[in-house]
Amino acid sequence: MATQTRILVLAPGLAAPAPLALSAGAGESIDIRVLVFPEVSANVDIKVDLTGEGASLNISGFYLCGAAENVAIRTEVNHRVPRCRSNQVINGVAGGQAKVAFYGKIVVAPDAVGTEAFQTNRNLLLSDAAVIDTKPQLEIYADDVQCSHGATVGKLDEMELFYMRSRGVPLKEARIMQIYSFLSPALAGMEEADKYSALLEEALRKI
Amino acid sequence: MKTAILDIKNLHATVEGKEILKGLDLTILPGEVHAIMGPNGAGKSTLGAVLTGRPGYEVTEGTVLFCGRNIFEMSPEERAWAGLFLSFQYPIEIPGVTYTNFIKAALAAKRKAQGLEPLKGGDFLKLLKEKLAFVKMSPDFAKREVNVGFSGGEKKRAEIFQMAMLEPTLSILDETDSGLDVDALKIVADGVKALRTEETSTIIITHYHKLLEYIVPDVVHILKGGRIVKTGTRELVDIIESDGFDKF
Repeated sequence: MATQTRILVLAPGLAAPAPLALSAGAGESIDIRVLVFPEVSANVDIKVDLTGEGASLNISGFYLCGAAENVAIRTEVNHRVPRCRSNQVINGVAGGQAKVAFYGKIVVAPDAVGTEAFQTNRNLLLSDAAVIDTKPQLEIYADDVQCSHGATVGKLDEMELFYMRSRGVPLKEARIMQIYSFLSPALAGMEEADKYSALLEEALRKI
Repeated sequence: MKTAILDIKNLHATVEGKEILKGLDLTILPGEVHAIMGPNGAGKSTLGAVLTGRPGYEVTEGTVLFCGRNIFEMSPEERAWAGLFLSFQYPIEIPGVTYTNFIKAALAAKRKAQGLEPLKGGDFLKLLKEKLAFVKMSPDFAKREVNVGFSGGEKKRAEIFQMAMLEPTLSILDETDSGLDVDALKIVADGVKALRTEETSTIIITHYHKLLEYIVPDVVHILKGGRIVKTGTRELVDIIESDGFDKF
């Protein structure tokens, strides 16, 4: 079965990605990765139509903003026909004076029975001046569907940090390990996971 | 005379504005094993928390010297580098961070503070396997996320594993025996005993006598109402066992 893969990378020196609009027909799948590195301000727009039965979509991503970035990520997933599946997991970190927005919209058409649509957007705030705006939106017009969305905004777990420090892990290193473990799942299964993992670690050391 | 590993004088500490430690004195010399026993709420765990610099605990009075240094001028990680180790009563889970990476970072930072290079990859892995075997844990644990999905006994053994990796000067075992079955208790006790040296000391915080049957303490203290109310030898353990803490 055909899988379309798209990797959207926002990083200094790279052109901002153009809005992405894709559709998946019967039995096709789409895998989209969104990797937002620090020190870029941009919009990411993703629209996917699932137009054939049994089509599936995965969107995994992270954003790491630690300066004064302004980043907005919008996803719109349209389940137009029965028995398609979509899963979105996007975790983000905002520090400094960064402003980050995540708008995730899922629309399930009236006859798209058997739809499975999931979305999670978890966020960590590293500073009081950073702002995170997360707006999940579910529009379900069909019966017999499984849909869920969850959005959270929190801080680094203080007891985890203390536990690591009590073993001698320096505070900065402990934070890096925590944030890395929070963001890196977005790289799972990618061909160039090692490359992006190294970039992520490098970016974390500068924040 | 030997320098004390730990020298606590008139320690007062509060949690959320409530005074828990109310003038605690304690001196521990190199090579000694001390047991601190006491009823619930006496301040036993607060002592461990204050010594390691846990957030939320405020020291309002008193001094603590750790190997001659003012412990309150040191960050939690600096205390660890200087050789302080607390086996947590409730070890923390760290999702997404493997034991290997966790302990590698801890060990490298400690070695750096001592002016040493990090261990080479092969040497580190050898040490890791050796110390896991020491607490009878399979090498697979190193790949797992820190304490995530570990049973109660595994968490406690993993604490002793960390202790064995870091070779502390002063180990504080905070209720390490609670919730352990006899086999796990024996593994923990054997581990602690094997790590004993002439230069290192251990504090066993407990309200049971069980662990103290395996590790015989040199000195036994009773902590009650935020102070040490009685200090004696191991016979105290038997008295507590038969009479409880009420008479102290």
